[in-house]
Amino acid sequence: MTCDFNYTANEYKSDLKPVWCPGCGDFAVLNSLYRTFAELRYEPHETVVVSGIGCSSRLPGYVEAYGFNSLHGRALPIATGIKLANPKLNVVVVGGDGDGIAIGGNHFLHTARRNADLTYIIMDNEIYGLTKGQAAPTTPLGDKTKSTTYGNPEAGVDPCALAISFGATWVARAFSGDVVGTAKLMKAALQHRGFAFLNILSPCVTWRGEDQHKEIRAKIQRGEIVIGVLHEVEKPTLVDEMDEIRGKATASRPPATKSDMLRAFA
Amino acid sequence: MSHELSLSIVGAGGDGAVAAGDILSMACAREGLHVIKTEAYGPQIRGGESSCMVRISSAPIHAQADTLDALVVFSWSDFARFRAELALGDDALVFHDEKDAPPDDMKSLRLFALPFAAQRGAKNIFALGLLSAAFGLPADAVREAVRGRFRKKTAEVIEGNVKAFDAGFMEGANVDAKKIEYIKSEAKLLMAGNEASALGAIEAGCTFFAGYPITPSSEILHFLSEWLPRIGGKCLQTEDELAAIGAVVGASFAGAKSMTATSGPGLSLMAEMIGLSSMAEVPSVIVNVQRGGPSTGIPTKSEQSDLMHAVFASHGDTPRVVLACTDVEDSFHTTVEGFNIAEEFQLPVIVLSEQSIAQRRETIEAKALVHDVVDRRLATEAGEYRRYRVTGDGVSPMSIPGQRGGEYQTNGLEHDEQGRPSSMYETHKTMNEKRYRKLDAIARKYRLFTRLGPDDADLGILCWGSSLGVVRDAVDRLNAPRGLRVAAFAPRILMPLPKRAIEEFVATSRELLIVELSHAEQFYKYLRTEIDLPRERTHVFARSGGKNLTVSEVIDEVQRIFVRDEVLA
Repeated sequence: MTCDFNYTANEYKSDLKPVWCPGCGDFAVLNSLYRTFAELRYEPHETVVVSGIGCSSRLPGYVEAYGFNSLHGRALPIATGIKLANPKLNVVVVGGDGDGIAIGGNHFLHTARRNADLTYIIMDNEIYGLTKGQAAPTTPLGDKTKSTTYGNPEAGVDPCALAISFGATWVARAFSGDVVGTAKLMKAALQHRGFAFLNILSPCVTWRGEDQHKEIRAKIQRGEIVIGVLHEVEKPTLVDEMDEIRGKATASRPPATKSDMLRAFA
Repeated sequence: MSHELSLSIVGAGGDGAVAAGDILSMACAREGLHVIKTEAYGPQIRGGESSCMVRISSAPIHAQADTLDALVVFSWSDFARFRAELALGDDALVFHDEKDAPPDDMKSLRLFALPFAAQRGAKNIFALGLLSAAFGLPADAVREAVRGRFRKKTAEVIEGNVKAFDAGFMEGANVDAKKIEYIKSEAKLLMAGNEASALGAIEAGCTFFAGYPITPSSEILHFLSEWLPRIGGKCLQTEDELAAIGAVVGASFAGAKSMTATSGPGLSLMAEMIGLSSMAEVPSVIVNVQRGGPSTGIPTKSEQSDLMHAVFASHGDTPRVVLACTDVEDSFHTTVEGFNIAEEFQLPVIVLSEQSIAQRRETIEAKALVHDVVDRRLATEAGEYRRYRVTGDGVSPMSIPGQRGGEYQTNGLEHDEQGRPSSMYETHKTMNEKRYRKLDAIARKYRLFTRLGPDDADLGILCWGSSLGVVRDAVDRLNAPRGLRVAAFAPRILMPLPKRAIEEFVATSRELLIVELSHAEQFYKYLRTEIDLPRERTHVFARSGGKNLTVSEVIDEVQRIFVRDEVLA
């Protein structure tokens, strides 16, 4: 739901100070989120930001809205429950690549497949930050991390490619270094009907080095990383399907009563 | 004349043994009789051997009978699979196919050879006619139930089955057997425990269910998939149990009364969310239908071995409530209580059921299916809202997304009154105390237990869940002729235990017997963590599940204790 009057980006800031490291890409993502909420005139009391566990999953605490900082990997099922309980709410899910692709990978698949009416934002830093520097499913092959002393034996995966194959109806890639561009894509993601997935490349200065930011920018310039909307289709959403089921079940009869139910046992 | 009858029908897939049991049970329920009906199958998904057991009585019954009065066997090779599970009474009547010679160990029983195979597709209906005449069952009601069963088929099919029924009835008229004596009374409902749990959820105001299919709890998912949309609710089948309980916690956070249902392996996966629901103080209801464990165990058989997991699952100090259903009707009431407690006290409630209750059909009266409903304490306070305000009973009024001014962040991290993450000792201590105070308040308000028998007894039996039905029958039999004064106690709330009531029961019983279906004696060991059980006068009868408890097992155990006592004296 949106409101009739204007909030400024600042009004979505909570009094909690982020615990992120100076230079972390997540600050820019948070700022884009404030701006986008303001632009879309989201009512704080009708907005829920849900996360799992990880550096980026601390984000809901920094937003003046309802928030649910839940369990590692489980943000999407929780968010699905919230949206189904009250489809009028704006439900935004945020988290990291480890949270969403590793431990929460199965939920990512099924939430996308269901076309749940959610916006899912991954802050992709190619590393586990909160546990201090282990390889994530997005860490490139051969990279040395704290848990891959001799180099990562596994190839990294592209979350956007996964999302498209899972059936997400809107998929885009952004770079946190470009606040304006990120806010623009975030706005489009929030406006999409159905499951919108936005993967934001969000450098980790502490565990991926000071240069990750520059490298990403260079790759974007060389066309090795594509920024923007990668996939967009229209499909009935999970809420649409639930409404459809309700229509079939009631078939213009009044709501069932207890005696209707008990008749099945008589 | 007799006031009750226990029978079993055994056949191959397609023989309709289970369908015949359904028709018979429904007809008897409509006649106002008391019925308990169970089924057993071979391991095949479709086809294979199947059997049903039906106990019919003019008086209330609480468990299956120990022995059968009558057995219908369509083929002896299928019967072999169930031989160990079906105990025949000494006077049992056995009806078998005339072309299928009975095994030697059956020859001492009263055998009747009948033309079952000649009935082709209607051998089961023929058998119903036979049983109706032989035992004085309500033939008109059974015939009507046969018609009802085939009402969607052609007139030819319906009449063919009615003819088979009448042919069986003619044969049965020649059988000399004790007829069941009863007075027709108001029709009863015939319902399984899983269905009663689902109805309890709807009674409580549940509008959201999420679940993952698992034996033996899936019927709850099936029922709510049909009925929740018809009352404006939603039912979601998730990718696993982690997501099921996750969606429940989410929906509940957003204000919907929400539930999931599972069995042991699913409850193992849900452990992390039990912790979150407890820490974030979001109400959740989990119906856990126990089956044989550990691991995949025996999915189709009953056991009481999830108790410790329900009471202690999840890391950290995690207040939660555990309730237990004792029979089908109680599954309804216990599920409503589960919601009432979860909603009022904002914590996870695990409702323990068992395969033997969840999948057995039992007669109940419609008017018994009523239960008071309690709602959540919602935030209304003016001024600065603190979601986790420290209160006397530990319950902080809850705001719901959509409510202006109630915005907060909920958290699996330890948090302060506002929900802000905190790693400070003082906050952790204060919040642990606040969360645990809710259990004290629940213990004061919800003293859920069943106590039977004399106030001061020679023997007090402590049991829980489905064991109560068997123990109740055993207590009735022991108190009558033997002159022993036997009492029984079953807590229906296991966390927090009704300690004072149990302590009083222990104090007023000369000897104590713990009865449970858990090899590791989970109930006994759990009781010992909370109650001082006097070792010298406490006896334990605990065995593996996989076979339901019987009345004679309990009586034998009681006799052993008193024989032992006399020897010692």
